Amino acid sequence: MRVCVQILRQFCFNSATKRIVEIPDLQWEKSQLNRNVACRFFFIWFPDLTELKLPVSDPNPSLCVCVLLTLQWDTDPSVLQLQSDSELGRKMQRLGATKITQVDFLPREVVLYCKETQTPITGTEEEDDEEIIDLEPALESDQQEEVDNKETREGYPGRELTEEEKQQILKSEEFLSFFDCSIRVMERALAEQSDIFFDYSGRDLEDKDGELQGGSSLSLSRLFYDEHWSKHRVITCLDWSPQYPELLVASYNNNEDAPHEPDGVALVWNMKFKKNTPEYVFHCQSPVVAVGFARFHPNLVVGGTYSGQIVLWDNRSHRRTPVQRTPLSAAAHTHPVYCVNVVGTQNANNLITVSTDGRMCSWTQPISTPWDFMELVYNKSKPVAVTGMAFPTGDVNNYVVGSEEGTVYTASRHGSKAGICEMFEGHQGPVTGLSCHNAVGPVDFSHLFVTSSFDWTVKLWSTKHNKPLYSFEDNADYIYDVMWSPVHPALFAAVDGMGRLDLWNLNSDTEVPTASVTVEGASALNRVRWASGGKEVAVGDSEGRLWIYDAGELAVPHSEDWARFARTLMEIKANRGDAEEEGLVELTP
Amino acid sequence: MAEVEETLKRIQSQKGVQGIIIVNAEGIPIKTTLDNSSTVQYAGLIHQSVMKARSTVRDIDPQNDLTFLRIRSKKNEIMIAPDKDYFLIVIQNPSD
Repeated sequence: MRVCVQILRQFCFNSATKRIVEIPDLQWEKSQLNRNVACRFFFIWFPDLTELKLPVSDPNPSLCVCVLLTLQWDTDPSVLQLQSDSELGRKMQRLGATKITQVDFLPREVVLYCKETQTPITGTEEEDDEEIIDLEPALESDQQEEVDNKETREGYPGRELTEEEKQQILKSEEFLSFFDCSIRVMERALAEQSDIFFDYSGRDLEDKDGELQGGSSLSLSRLFYDEHWSKHRVITCLDWSPQYPELLVASYNNNEDAPHEPDGVALVWNMKFKKNTPEYVFHCQSPVVAVGFARFHPNLVVGGTYSGQIVLWDNRSHRRTPVQRTPLSAAAHTHPVYCVNVVGTQNANNLITVSTDGRMCSWTQPISTPWDFMELVYNKSKPVAVTGMAFPTGDVNNYVVGSEEGTVYTASRHGSKAGICEMFEGHQGPVTGLSCHNAVGPVDFSHLFVTSSFDWTVKLWSTKHNKPLYSFEDNADYIYDVMWSPVHPALFAAVDGMGRLDLWNLNSDTEVPTASVTVEGASALNRVRWASGGKEVAVGDSEGRLWIYDAGELAVPHSEDWARFARTLMEIKANRGDAEEEGLVELTP
Repeated sequence: MAEVEETLKRIQSQKGVQGIIIVNAEGIPIKTTLDNSSTVQYAGLIHQSVMKARSTVRDIDPQNDLTFLRIRSKKNEIMIAPDKDYFLIVIQNPSD
């Protein structure tokens, strides 16, 4: 780059007399100026030269030479060119505004507030001497500083950071991880708003907010909704964490109003603290239709996507994108994966995934190709379009699947009868949800399962009969999901398209739900999941809102509930037997 | 980087929050939502308080360390999350 320098005025600093004097017509040696101008720029900017009265003095230049130059940058890479104006020194030149930078100053006086902390040094090693660092002004004189940071401030560390340094720090990896952790802690602290100074004598007693009624009804406990990530997205799946009962993960469909945002989002919410923002935000490129915590790997969240990919997120890494994902290949899934499930034990567990083309794959860690896959076909002819899958408690081999045609099948993974075993017909619409009996108690009901469907009914089945035991027909819209309570043997929850959440207690009544509530806004509820303690139930709706309801007394099982349910079952079977005799057979599709 | 901005904006808009300052280990503010003079004042004074608190904790038990500091005053509350290299300071008015 070529620099054209035009000398306007020439001054020099006489260090003996400590005066700045002007030198008229000083002839510069080109080589000397080359070196000087290339290495250092001296600028003293006087706002108005007429105000400065310069004494005429010794014209010989002294140690420091100051020139007033204008710089014209040329794009030609070549040597410095000098232009000297012969009229200099005769008349005042108009100065143009030039950006100036200051370097090479004398160390400026900084007044410090030096109060050292007096810590007795009694043999304990002080690993961090951070207390003493800030008392020394850090003076790196080769640092560039902005002009407006020059003011000294009393009592504070003398060094300021430039904008560039700040930006650099803000982008650094360690800052981001610090920020992530401490913001989480801070948000929880901010959300806890209890007033420890409350004085009961001075004012009326107010009810503390958040006190739940805990009566014999369903009451709303929390609503989880994030402006950025939940808006305009449908909640497609929910799962509670087996390890931390206050955590739950919800997966969201794509946001049609925001095509640039990632299509698939999974948010981990925390019930324990009052903060209303998700603990973790995960996203991926394809809409997530199934999500679950990996049961034996507490840091992993598994997602099944619309494209057939299985993705794994890890909350130990600070990335929001998956740490592992399966390739899109014919060996894996090519259709949406609506069910993901981890089965097995701590030492021998597998991830089972089923997609809507009937393919079931088993995966181990790290997921790259499935070690086992199976096509679920009925009667060796047509594949089953699976919409839901459930394993009975304690069983890792046999499971139940629901299909789009409305039929339910039992199947097994291994053994002589691997694949589809039996068919259960009864629903007249696609099966949207199914749940195997979970509650463990004196009587074993693990052969029971419930299914929900678009035909407005929830049906109760037993794996021993291929016709439903009972049909619950209280709804007037598609029923989107159903789940048995994990603790109460006769209780299950169902959600439908009108925003209704129903709790059915079969020991009280089999005709109508025992408790029912409609969510605000009456948006269709897509998913329902009981918490592992059986006290709370989470429902996800089509607007991206996650409602947590407290079931209160309803959900608490009593010891006689098991025996009562066994009797209820017998009654149901007896009634069904009567109905069949009278010829009221359910129409099979 | 934009996430940092977004998060700070979100916390700033929560009710009662008056300001957020991020300071490095030497007490120099890196990011702030307050004006310059308040920031510098808070940063310098809080830095010293945190150092004193930390040395107190450490003196009592050398294997212990400060994890969170909350200073509650009549008018507001200052919450500090200290780390090895940075501090996050949030000033809020809890009765809002």
